[in-house]
Amino acid sequence: MRVIIVGAGEVGFHLAERLSQENQDVVVVEADPERAERASELLDVMTVVGNGASIPVLEEAGIRGAKILLAVTSQDEVNLISCLAGSRLGADYTIARISNPDYYTSGSVLSRERLGIDLMINPEREAARETFQLLQSAAATDVANFAEGRVQLVGLVVREGAAVAGKSLGRLGVELKEYHYVLAAIVRGGETIIPDGSSRIEAGDHIYVLSPASEVLSIPPLAGYEPFDLKRVMIAGGSAEGLFLAQVLEEHHIECTILDRDRRRCLELAEALPKSLVLHGDATDLELLEMEGVSGIDGFVAATGNDETNLLSSLLAKSVGARKVVSLIEKFEYLSLVPRVGLDAAVSPRMSAVNAILRYVRRGRVTTVATLKGIDAEAIEFRVSEDSAIANRLIADLSFPRGAIIGTIIRGDVILIPRGPDLVLPGDEVIVFALPEAIPEVEKLFG
Amino acid sequence: MSLRRILNVVGLLQVFMGLSMVLAGLVSLFYRDGDTVGIFLASVLTSAVGLVTYRRTRFKGDILPREGFAIVTLAWTAAAFFGALPFLFTGTIQGFIPAWFESMSGFSTTGATIFTDIEALPHGVLFWRSFTQWLGGMGIIVLAIAILPYLGVGGMQLFKAEVPGPTPERLRPRITQTAKLLWLVYLGLTALEALLLMLGGMDLFDASTHSLATMATGGFSPKNASIAHFESPYIHYVIILFMYLAGVNFALHFKAAAGRLDYFKDHEWRFYTGLLLGAAVLLMVLNLAGGSYPLSLAGVEHALRDGLFQSVSIGTTTGFVTADYELWVPGAIMVLFILFFTGGMAGSTGGGPKAVRILLLLQQTAKEMRKHLHPRAVLLIRVGRRVVKEDVLANVLGFVILYALLFIAGATALALLGVDFVTALGASAATVGNIGPGLGAVGPTDNYGWMSDSALVVMSFLMLVGRLEIYTVLLLFHPETWRKA
Repeated sequence: MRVIIVGAGEVGFHLAERLSQENQDVVVVEADPERAERASELLDVMTVVGNGASIPVLEEAGIRGAKILLAVTSQDEVNLISCLAGSRLGADYTIARISNPDYYTSGSVLSRERLGIDLMINPEREAARETFQLLQSAAATDVANFAEGRVQLVGLVVREGAAVAGKSLGRLGVELKEYHYVLAAIVRGGETIIPDGSSRIEAGDHIYVLSPASEVLSIPPLAGYEPFDLKRVMIAGGSAEGLFLAQVLEEHHIECTILDRDRRRCLELAEALPKSLVLHGDATDLELLEMEGVSGIDGFVAATGNDETNLLSSLLAKSVGARKVVSLIEKFEYLSLVPRVGLDAAVSPRMSAVNAILRYVRRGRVTTVATLKGIDAEAIEFRVSEDSAIANRLIADLSFPRGAIIGTIIRGDVILIPRGPDLVLPGDEVIVFALPEAIPEVEKLFG
Repeated sequence: MSLRRILNVVGLLQVFMGLSMVLAGLVSLFYRDGDTVGIFLASVLTSAVGLVTYRRTRFKGDILPREGFAIVTLAWTAAAFFGALPFLFTGTIQGFIPAWFESMSGFSTTGATIFTDIEALPHGVLFWRSFTQWLGGMGIIVLAIAILPYLGVGGMQLFKAEVPGPTPERLRPRITQTAKLLWLVYLGLTALEALLLMLGGMDLFDASTHSLATMATGGFSPKNASIAHFESPYIHYVIILFMYLAGVNFALHFKAAAGRLDYFKDHEWRFYTGLLLGAAVLLMVLNLAGGSYPLSLAGVEHALRDGLFQSVSIGTTTGFVTADYELWVPGAIMVLFILFFTGGMAGSTGGGPKAVRILLLLQQTAKEMRKHLHPRAVLLIRVGRRVVKEDVLANVLGFVILYALLFIAGATALALLGVDFVTALGASAATVGNIGPGLGAVGPTDNYGWMSDSALVVMSFLMLVGRLEIYTVLLLFHPETWRKA
């Protein structure tokens, strides 16, 4: 399957990396020769230097036989034209990265449907959405959505003295019969364990739990967290992500303070955010943060657009008692630092975008994939067809591979927490949690 | 600054002024009140002077922006001057100063009159009084722009100088079209009101003169007792409604006529409406508690109607009366006195500082308070979703200060001329705000006829400056305006 990626910036580069690792034929179109050079040196991809919105350049990249065109430059207009040209030149699917909301508002004359673009993705908005979900729970380190958000995967660290600490899954199954959840993975000492009935949960474990979205909030108290109500949020940094997040908070009537060091940006923020308090100041100015009540604030988000500043700002906020701190981190290398320095959670806008695009690229059998930070396993949503090996079989009879677990089964409106006597039916959507080495075997079951 | 260009436009406007007197002449002819000749004489003289001035000052090129102020101010002064001629030529007013005052009070939509017995006046003159208000309401310049395409280019400058409010709205790309639409809505509402008043039993003459004065937020009534002359609650409510509508931004009416009901989305509208309703209810409660009205169902209705009428009449700067508010409890008089300083919406025919300026000022105050709590906050002021720019805010602040200064200066001048304290304050507020009836000896049942000529000159100036929203007139007194460009 040939995939053409227009733009070898951060998002494009990582998409190319992931897709080529998955044995796709990737062609990267990039206008900047140096970036193109870097991609062809570091990745197993073909590169074409040129404007991705130009038809001859797209033809040179082989658009006529291509399955998917991903236009992910930082310029909306280039991405739009590239996709328009691509779909007319024969690409089966086109995906555009679009930041300006004017272009993707539904019902507009330039809406996705009218333009014939299969997916418009806004990395900043995806990141803001993910941040908002993380903020809503004091405990969550990761959140991923499945089945249009009806099922959520939440990562959290088990606290000392928590109700579940020191107990085996078998015992918990009896004790917590009322709860609907599946423990999908345990990360202990850097190692990922896909648990079975005999596995035990210890304090300090980083656990990943799948649950219907309506019941997600019942999980943190079991892991030793107090109930949490998000009322006040401070956002340090008026980046695009910060602004989107503030807009989401305003929509949910959550009190929001946002600060930026650039006065002109502050004016833009104040204009876009009628209900938020906009401050002119630095994200690491502790005096200002304290004056504006960062200690004891429900949520603090560092979104300055600079990783180092974000980390520092988050640490300051955490040190003076912000309850939930989320840091936006671009560099993948820094993500593993987040739990080690004691921060609650991190969001990578780039990874959010890459995930969202990959989800779509793999569609067909696979509807959703979530790659999680600091853990090897992936959560994959499969659709069961008539001729899948798994169809019409009892869960108890399945020889499910080691290192993989069935999380939930979505059958129409019903969300099933799988038990031994349940049947897997054609048409079901099944969320599987699996270590990379188990994925090929899992795919066979659904193939 | 070119006097030639200024006089040219002013001359042309006087031709219009002369022609509009023909209408009053025809009314006079119809009622055979014997003043037809006088009015037609005034018409011919005005048109002739205008035409000669216009013909002798023709020029090529465009009007300069700063000439706009001079043109508008001079045009209004001249309109008041020639508008006084029908009063003089028919012998209804003896001196020139009182006639000029009456005419300026008409054009500026103030509604302050020097007549003691209005009902004794001939029909032609009565019609002319109401008609000056109607012309001044939407603005004689806006009318000229609507009719004369030749003012198109410099038109926006003139338009800005005349239309009330901080930033006039364009309804159409061309200023001529915008002006036309505004006049069309204005005409339509006036006709509708006249029709509704006739349905309530008024004759054609009373209905049309009252409608002309209502839609202009003017307040000239051909009856001595103003609207109190009519005892029908229906007529009171119709006039309340149309005074209220006249105080609303005409751009909103136009949008409504085009099928878009944007009233509720407009924050100035909400403020304006809330203020008038709140004041009306407050007046009713105070009056009922103070025993001015009986505590029966009819009494409550009457108190509410009078409260509504007076608050809307003063709040929109119309100046009609159905009750002698000076007999009310002091608290109620104070509520009305506060309404002397609010005015209609920007883009309406109302006078005063305008609701939007008060709204912005209140928000600016709230912003300063909030700034103390969050010294580093970047706070914006908005009307609805729209952010108000700093320079507009500075302009508004300057305006309100000038307005207050003008009010104080006017009251001081009147006091120096021997007018008593309460009357001086009331008369100054009522003329700067283009309201009409004031307090004390110029209250709702009194008139301005007893005042000295010098006091009338002071108030004529206040009315002009108030109607043209201060900057337009005061700029003429700024030395830099007169430097050669």
